[in-house]
Amino acid sequence: MKKILLVTLTMLFLAFTAFASDPDTFVSLTIGEPETLDPIQSYDTASGEAIQNLYDNLIQYDGQSLSEFLPMISTEVPSVENGLLSEDGRVYTFPIREGVKFHTGNTLTPEDVEYSFERYILGDPSGGPHWMIIEAFTGANFASIEGLFADYAGMPYSEAVDVDRNPTSDEAKAKLISFYEEVVDPLVEVVDNTVVFTLESPFAPFMNIISHFGSWSAIVDSSKVKELGGWDGQADGWWKWHDLQVEECVLHNYDAGSGPFKLVEWDRAQQKVILERFDEYWAGPAKLKTVVIWGVDEYSTRKSIFEAGDADIVYVPAQYLDQARGLEAEGKAIVTLGYPQASITSLHFNWLVVEGSEYVGSGKLDGNGIPRDFFSDIHVRKAFTYAFDGLTFIEEVAMGQGRLVPTDLPEGFLGFDETLPLTEFDLAKAAAEFKLAWGGEVWEKGFALQLMYNTGNDARQTACEMLAYFINSLNPKFKITTLGVQWPTYLSTYQNGLLPAFVIGWQADYPDPHNFIATYYASNGVYGGPQGELYQEWARENVDELISKAIKATDNDERVALYREVQENVIEAVAGLPIYQPTGINVRAPWVEGWYPMPVRSNLYYYHLSKTN
Amino acid sequence: MTAYIIRRLLLMPLILIGVTLVIFTMIWALGPDRLLASYIKSPEALKTPDAAERLIRKYGLDEPMPVQYIKWLGNILQGDFGYSMVGKKGVLPAMLERFPHTLELTIYAIIPVILVAVWLGVISAVHQNKFIDQFIRVVALVGWSLPDFVFGLLLLMLFYSILGWFPPGMASTEFDLVMRGADWKTITSMTTFDALLNGRLDIFIDALRHIFLPVLTLAYLWWAYLLRITRSSMLEVLRKDYIRTARAKGVSERVVIKKHARKNALIPVITVAGASIIGLLGGTVFVETIFSRVGMGRFIADAASLLDYWSIIGGALFFSFIMVVGNLVVDVSYALVDPRIRLE
Repeated sequence: MKKILLVTLTMLFLAFTAFASDPDTFVSLTIGEPETLDPIQSYDTASGEAIQNLYDNLIQYDGQSLSEFLPMISTEVPSVENGLLSEDGRVYTFPIREGVKFHTGNTLTPEDVEYSFERYILGDPSGGPHWMIIEAFTGANFASIEGLFADYAGMPYSEAVDVDRNPTSDEAKAKLISFYEEVVDPLVEVVDNTVVFTLESPFAPFMNIISHFGSWSAIVDSSKVKELGGWDGQADGWWKWHDLQVEECVLHNYDAGSGPFKLVEWDRAQQKVILERFDEYWAGPAKLKTVVIWGVDEYSTRKSIFEAGDADIVYVPAQYLDQARGLEAEGKAIVTLGYPQASITSLHFNWLVVEGSEYVGSGKLDGNGIPRDFFSDIHVRKAFTYAFDGLTFIEEVAMGQGRLVPTDLPEGFLGFDETLPLTEFDLAKAAAEFKLAWGGEVWEKGFALQLMYNTGNDARQTACEMLAYFINSLNPKFKITTLGVQWPTYLSTYQNGLLPAFVIGWQADYPDPHNFIATYYASNGVYGGPQGELYQEWARENVDELISKAIKATDNDERVALYREVQENVIEAVAGLPIYQPTGINVRAPWVEGWYPMPVRSNLYYYHLSKTN
Repeated sequence: MTAYIIRRLLLMPLILIGVTLVIFTMIWALGPDRLLASYIKSPEALKTPDAAERLIRKYGLDEPMPVQYIKWLGNILQGDFGYSMVGKKGVLPAMLERFPHTLELTIYAIIPVILVAVWLGVISAVHQNKFIDQFIRVVALVGWSLPDFVFGLLLLMLFYSILGWFPPGMASTEFDLVMRGADWKTITSMTTFDALLNGRLDIFIDALRHIFLPVLTLAYLWWAYLLRITRSSMLEVLRKDYIRTARAKGVSERVVIKKHARKNALIPVITVAGASIIGLLGGTVFVETIFSRVGMGRFIADAASLLDYWSIIGGALFFSFIMVVGNLVVDVSYALVDPRIRLE
């Protein structure tokens, strides 16, 4: 027994010789893991990261620019000057690069491009990203294929196809087939060696939507997808592949790309995605041979792995920034800070809380609750914004990694305007506004309400607590309480208009103001409903038309003017309280080369990265 | 005895159905809006106005609970436990993928837990109220009251961050890649055993380095409990008449302890050891998180926080199964050790 123990111990100590960092293998420590590897469903950062390394798109961003493009699968970037974009801004022509190989060994053809986009449009899974492509093609008139079908066929999709995915009648079937032939098929057509996209009307962000880093427009190997049992490319029966559940999408765990890396394995038990260099990549092989994307959810563990030199890049949340600086001081890391991120966190008010909400106390202005339309009074909204100390929030909570913005439009986007006023922290003004609110009744009787946040989101929690603290300090009759709930609960309560006010963020889908302005302020935006019927009425009268004009305009100056007007209107009406725009933090080992900040990229693109010995 | 075992096993499906029915009812009482959230990771997914409505229809969230339950039972008979949002695959394959990680930890942890606890428990009892007893009890108390999260992190800091000996994860990257290669035969899905079966001693040692700290953490936290049971049980036995008789006959103290006392003192220990194994098999959320070895504990915890209902139900089934079988094994071994116990 003792001998065995001795031998084992000796061997263990022999094994403790530190391994040198392998210059060909790159380990990236992040959190979570992809939801799926099928671009038809992918709508989260981790999935996007895997897909942007496995697949190519028609065009790609030029370095850090958000508006300049370079060729990728298309050999040219369409413009009016080179004749590949029509004068009216509706028809885009992409000449397809020849000799590009997929990882399967198949050659990429223009038909693959057509197939990819048609599969996305027809598949359009609910909750997925393809509203973007459908919106672009239809001049923002439709955001789902079902809506487009209903408009064409004069019957809801759910009446044309039953729950078992069969047409409900011969007539319905004929409609479904002709819908593909007359509506969807003409959108993307192969002409010789080019692919031609025809839009309903000009759509400014179209190039951003189809550019690389957008997993929703990745080019897939159609033969591989069909082989796995995906859409067969026929008009008859396309509905069998429409709105599939995530595991039914055939590329969920497969790779049908032509990108610089091939999929070795997606290990869902160890939260690892393992990629291997694709030696026949059309633009030349990557410098790294193997990439391991490893989700390690506990920060202390992530940090210790990175610190030991067993990883090359690590995700560090803002609250641990000092530790990252410490690593930098020891020469173990390079830290890059302060680059803009394409996301916003803000607080919005519900101008008419849905009946039956349990978050409005008594439901009356009696000191124990609020009336459902409490926030429809502009003085209340003003008071709330004056009571928020944004600068302290950024300094103390975001550890300086963020900036104040005048509206819910991030810096760096078209239409961002520094001359617009920022929210101001002034408790005296807040008190004055509360005294004016509801004809003085608010101040006199007081009120009670609950601010909710989703647990785990420290920024949201602290923002709610700060607001509650400052407002409650103004008047002993003010009783704001905060409540942390799990994400599913938070989502369903704000989504259904039950919360009097809610803190929420938005991560850019593509770097265009429409993606933020329409989302937050349009009456039919994602956050329009949660802000209540009265807000929607206001939006229909004051901003909807401007937003709709701005997306169809092709001239940038005209768009900037329209977005400026929208922003002036929402500032004047105090439609929301922009809390902050986070700025980026990147922590990598000193031997990592080629990293640069890019707000719309999903984490990392390993083709650009290398390691020096 | 055999009849008893058969009867207990026949009861199992009923217990499992009862458990799933209760959980099903609780989950479905949340209503479609809450359940919908498990499919929405971020607000972006609700960008289209009809997204929520379509998702509810697609996943049948608005169907009455009995309809859903019958459907689910039908699927289970075909081996389909639903799709796990946490596992990103079917619930059953997701659990089968994680269970070996948990099993491996259990195997390694339970050996030191039982051996050390029994050994120290006996020493403690024999030297009751002497220094060695007090010392062992204090150390055990610390283990018993120290949160596993804190202890695990301390170990990680000391043995990995400072000394660089025992890394987290399952294996070093270079070996991890070897194990994903075409030449590698995955037999047990447990790294240390597969390494041996593939004849790779270097990978075996590497895997041991990775499993060492989580095992140490679990062992220390569990043995404190087992040690106290052993000690008190031993003390009780040492006061028995037959021990006094043995001593009176002039049997040496070593023989008294080893031959007469220890065996009888171990009867209650079996129950507790059984409970420890069952507990370990259920996974340990914090240890799995800190040492980045995802197993059953994290699977259930993540499922609960995401409201990933198929995983919650599948996980509950798994736990109930482990509990029922585990308790049966404990009861039977009890009867085998103690002839006074009759299983009726």
